[in-house]
Amino acid sequence: MTTTELILSKTAALSTSDGPQSLTALQRQAADFLAENRFAFRKNEVWRNVDFGEFMDDELTSPLPDNSRQTSFSCDIPNLDTTKLTVCNGYYQANAQDSIPNGVIICSLREALDKHPQLVEKVLGQTTPVNNSFLSANTALFTDGVFIYIPDGVAVEKPLQILSVADHDKPMLLQTRNLVYIGKNSQLTLIHCDDSYNHNRCFSNTVTEIVIDEDARLDHYKMQNLNDNSGLINQTFVRMRQNSSLLSNGVSFNGGNIRNHNEIRMDGEHCNVQVHGLYLMDKEQKIDNYVYVEHSHPNCDSYELFKGILDDNAHGSFNGHVLVCDGAFKTNASQSNKNILLTDKATINSKPFLEIYNDDVKCSHGSSIGQLDEQALFYMMQRGIRRHTATTLLMFAFCDEVLKDINIAPLQQQLREMVRRRLQGELTSCDNCVIGCNTNDCHFPIDTSRL
Amino acid sequence: MSLLSIRNLHASIGDKEILKGVNLEINEGEVHSIMGPNGNGKSTLAAVIVGNSKFTVTQGEVIFKDKNILDMSVEERAAEGLFLGFQYPVEIPGVSISNFMRTAVNEQRKYRGLDPLSGSEFFKLMEEKKQIVELTSNLASRSVNEGFSGGEKKKNEIFQMAMLDPKLAILDETDSGLDIDALRIVANGVNKLRRPDNATVVITHYQRLLDYIVPDFVHILYEGRIVKTGDKNLALELEKKGYAWIKEELENSAK
Repeated sequence: MTTTELILSKTAALSTSDGPQSLTALQRQAADFLAENRFAFRKNEVWRNVDFGEFMDDELTSPLPDNSRQTSFSCDIPNLDTTKLTVCNGYYQANAQDSIPNGVIICSLREALDKHPQLVEKVLGQTTPVNNSFLSANTALFTDGVFIYIPDGVAVEKPLQILSVADHDKPMLLQTRNLVYIGKNSQLTLIHCDDSYNHNRCFSNTVTEIVIDEDARLDHYKMQNLNDNSGLINQTFVRMRQNSSLLSNGVSFNGGNIRNHNEIRMDGEHCNVQVHGLYLMDKEQKIDNYVYVEHSHPNCDSYELFKGILDDNAHGSFNGHVLVCDGAFKTNASQSNKNILLTDKATINSKPFLEIYNDDVKCSHGSSIGQLDEQALFYMMQRGIRRHTATTLLMFAFCDEVLKDINIAPLQQQLREMVRRRLQGELTSCDNCVIGCNTNDCHFPIDTSRL
Repeated sequence: MSLLSIRNLHASIGDKEILKGVNLEINEGEVHSIMGPNGNGKSTLAAVIVGNSKFTVTQGEVIFKDKNILDMSVEERAAEGLFLGFQYPVEIPGVSISNFMRTAVNEQRKYRGLDPLSGSEFFKLMEEKKQIVELTSNLASRSVNEGFSGGEKKKNEIFQMAMLDPKLAILDETDSGLDIDALRIVANGVNKLRRPDNATVVITHYQRLLDYIVPDFVHILYEGRIVKTGDKNLALELEKKGYAWIKEELENSAK
């Protein structure tokens, strides 16, 4: 049975079952959406560049909870103490809990559905309309995930670090659902790492829903470092109330096929959104970044900056959509996508897109695709710097524009180090992760000598 | 001792020949000035010597320290001791000056078989050389030439020259875009770096710079050739009379 058939038959079966497995209204809606639309995307502008056919046509299995798998994977960031939340094969793994502030709830989504249904309802299905098939599949069939609830007025000092890992012998389909609620005037730093535990095939269809309440702030960092057999659809839906802020900064270091799908909706005035992304892809890898920002109220700002370097036959796309609704006066919005292609075969589809139904707004968008600045290279080489070193320096500088706004110094340092190593082809990951880790059998250099 | 020897050098960009047989001898300890009307090949000569691949050498040779450098890469020529002070220094956003210079110094040292400078050695050297052109800004936190004023960019060129300590420095219109104070600082910087075992070529339009950096030889590059060579008085004469008389002289001698 192909993955597509597996998902469709499971959702179809769900609609006839009852008892504890009975569908909530939300799941029924999702199942209906899937029954009607299936996985046909070609005509849908938002998913036009997405092709996960190799995973959907493959025979992947959904794992069952397995408590014997206690992964020791930790993805440490030097000099940064984080509260680690491991999601292994789509199931939350109870860690030895650090002390967490009063009233904060961190648990598995299954546990939350059981113990805190009224809190779950504040987030689940609240951040987005049902608008795509992968979201529907996840809504109907998610296994588990992390549930984070921050009550009003709590600044969580220690960053939370979600580690999504796959550890299985068979090719797998993972459907993880994470929910995050940040109460009024609260603050949270969330670091979300997607890593491969081995070189096995894995397709992860992850959905994270986030509600940021009035005057609250979320700093959301994403680090993606997956093996070349991996597919990842990482959908993040954020709903923001007035005066709230979001900084989202994602770095895709490696992975067979990655779709970062962000939808951000601002439900109040004076919201501030920064969405930054960096992608470094080579070989046959694919990366697709989609950002939808909805300005429905006045006086909100959103800034998007996505930069990438593509080598070999890598393929990338950037699809940014800012919607400024009627009545959203004094909106500031900018979109920028810059790319360096290192070979004739690397490709990028870049589409920054503004849709504005209002006067009195300030919006800009831009996109560039190019090679490194030859004049700068000559200048550097005239000072005695070899071409290879000069190109690495220029590429690092190109990437650093995305990294320089990271607020946590140790994390910034770690990401800079990983970018440097990625560009020099040394390895690509946190030191104790399987993918690049101190082994020599991984080699995914971006080949700077070709410039 | 001969440092640079250029013989019958021809160079083109595309189909257009710009250098049409340049001859030039530069010895250690000398300061040469190259003058001439716009568009006659001064900057091209500098670019060809340091190896800019925009230009094709079609004839002739360039011998530097007894080596034919025309086959060498840009960075090899630099590590051999050739420095070009750019007329338009390039901005490199995101690369700090200290990182840039440390990489350059250590790559040149590696080429010469020397160990790299340690962090503290390097910063000590940088602080020392900053004095030469009275640079006060924090170079660790600024990107190369980004947002620099015209004067700062040229000071930064001479600072880099001081850091790299070249055998032969070619300064391409280092005086353009400088106010009088900055001109004096930059010129004094160049003079402080003069030694019996190195040499400087100053490309300029104006006598004013040569009041500070006094040349041993003044050459006039006209229509791709050095047509006249004299001492510092030739520059004074040009300042008074312009280039018309040179053209007349050439026409007369052609007849």
